[in-house]
Amino acid sequence: MSTVHVENMTKHYGAVHALDGLDLDVAAGTVYGFLGPNGAGKTTTLRILTGLARPTSGKAQVAGVDVLHAGNALPRKIGHLPEEPAFYTWMTPLEFLDYLGRLYGLSTSARKSRSKELLALVRMEDVSKRRIGGFSRGMRQRLGVAAALIHHPEVLFLDEPASALDPAGRKEVLDLIENLRGQATVVMSTHILADVERVCDMVGIIAKGKMLVQSPREALLERYAVPAFEVEADDRPALANWGESLKRLPWVTSVTSQNGTLRILVKDVKTAKAALLVGAVGAGLVLNRYEEIRPSLEDVFLQLVGSESVS
Amino acid sequence: MNFITVFRKEMLEQGRTYRFLIVAAVFVAFGLSSPALAKFTPELLKAIPGVPGGIQAFFPTPTVADAMGQYIKNMSQFGVLLALLMTMGVVVQEKERGTAAFFLTRPVSRTTFLLAKFASMTVAFVVSLAVAALGCWYYTYILFEPIAWGPFLALNGLMLVVFLVYMALSLLGSTIARSNGIAVGLAFLSLIVIGGIGALPTIGDYFPGRLFSWGASLVLKGTDTAWPALWISLGIILAALLAACLVFRRQEV
Amino acid sequence: MNLDKLMQFIPYLIPVLIIELVLIVIALIDLVKREHTRGPKWLWAIIIILVNFIGPIVYFVVGRKDE
Repeated sequence: MSTVHVENMTKHYGAVHALDGLDLDVAAGTVYGFLGPNGAGKTTTLRILTGLARPTSGKAQVAGVDVLHAGNALPRKIGHLPEEPAFYTWMTPLEFLDYLGRLYGLSTSARKSRSKELLALVRMEDVSKRRIGGFSRGMRQRLGVAAALIHHPEVLFLDEPASALDPAGRKEVLDLIENLRGQATVVMSTHILADVERVCDMVGIIAKGKMLVQSPREALLERYAVPAFEVEADDRPALANWGESLKRLPWVTSVTSQNGTLRILVKDVKTAKAALLVGAVGAGLVLNRYEEIRPSLEDVFLQLVGSESVS
Repeated sequence: MNFITVFRKEMLEQGRTYRFLIVAAVFVAFGLSSPALAKFTPELLKAIPGVPGGIQAFFPTPTVADAMGQYIKNMSQFGVLLALLMTMGVVVQEKERGTAAFFLTRPVSRTTFLLAKFASMTVAFVVSLAVAALGCWYYTYILFEPIAWGPFLALNGLMLVVFLVYMALSLLGSTIARSNGIAVGLAFLSLIVIGGIGALPTIGDYFPGRLFSWGASLVLKGTDTAWPALWISLGIILAALLAACLVFRRQEV
Repeated sequence: MNLDKLMQFIPYLIPVLIIELVLIVIALIDLVKREHTRGPKWLWAIIIILVNFIGPIVYFVVGRKDE
């Protein structure tokens, strides 16, 4: 049974169709990467699933709660990290977490220990008594993660949690998300492919308000993988000749040559593996590099969404 | 159910951002200086060198009525201004900054969110007005004569009702508005409508501003009453709060 | 005789002056600690100190910018 279930959801802002019949399913315990170009409808979806916005039509369920008629049931089940988490700047992180704890009805001792625990998790113990007003973007993001976790939510919605951060900050936040695996179901929206590749085990790709594909990451890579090999050698004329001869073989799709590197797309990986190296040696080539190209999510993404929509 | 928690946070915020301090300082300063200025302004004018002696005749010896007049005039102007200024940003700023969105995914109902704000502003005004009234009463007592507690309390109660009218309207504006500028505009629109029409004869008898003159009459042992204006004022407060809650409930933040 | 009356007036103003002083001090402390204000800081300092009573209040209402 899926923890997050969205069926044929639409959201219209006037003439703009932000969501156009979106389907989405997230199994319990997964870290789900919600991937799409800017403006694809990711934030709108998360806002609807957290109860901040209402869909024009469609069904949405989160942790067994109907989002459209949730009442008070939803807030206790979910945690939400908006794209730009906002805080009361006059509060300190400790006061802020304590306030949230009160809202969820935690006892004084529970609030104390939970705040301490979370501040340690996001490594903010040393600034726990400073005013939030002076915090950097990265610090706010980390505090936002802590704030989203205060009540042990079943489902965590993270909107572009790492996108605006510098590499160090990004690594920190992604490590945090990695550590949440098993504790909560995580739905993380992003337009950065590398982040999804690092932490997500399920991927949903959205464009123009529609779900294009939804699948485990590995299956997605396999399905959309272009089997390819790269061969690099110093003797360029010999390499080019060998490349021409390869084109006539039945298991080769295409051969392109660039700067002393041949890129060979093949129909049958097994045959290619058996034949390529032998062929190269037979052609008298001294190879600098021979590599089976692992497909990246970026390749998949480009195939699905088209290159024009990637920034 | 989380009302107390949110209310506590609102009170803390008013303290930290000095909003409470501003209201208290303005109220107390005018509470004290009104009777003092009523008493001494004629003296001060006489003390200015070069003012012809004959002008003294234009300044009759000040009485308790002048003290009360000053008090009501100052409090009505600055109290209404503060009610607008302190309230007009409270919702729209949370929407603009994104703190509203952050909290509405929490177990806080939108009604609680709004009413806790109104309640905490009300407390700030009640406390500030109480201290100001106490100061004014004491200064009037030592500079003029003691005034009866009952009517004076009623005067301050009536003034508070007027402040709450503007506060509720300003809160409604802040809830409707999408940007700070619009909230400011709506707050002052309410001032123009309620204050402006209230200044007209006859129809003004039914507007909140009428409560000031009723209060003045009360402390000066007059017989004037304006019950319709009081009911209408309370009605405006309730209607504005209800409208704010309904608007906010449907709003996407 | 008029001057005597004037001197009589002063004690009554002392509480008001204290309130004003407190406002000025708190506004100045806030100004020094704050990173961003609407408009230059030195101008706010002048307004807070020189504009009687209203100066600090105007600063609190419009001068502060949230970080």
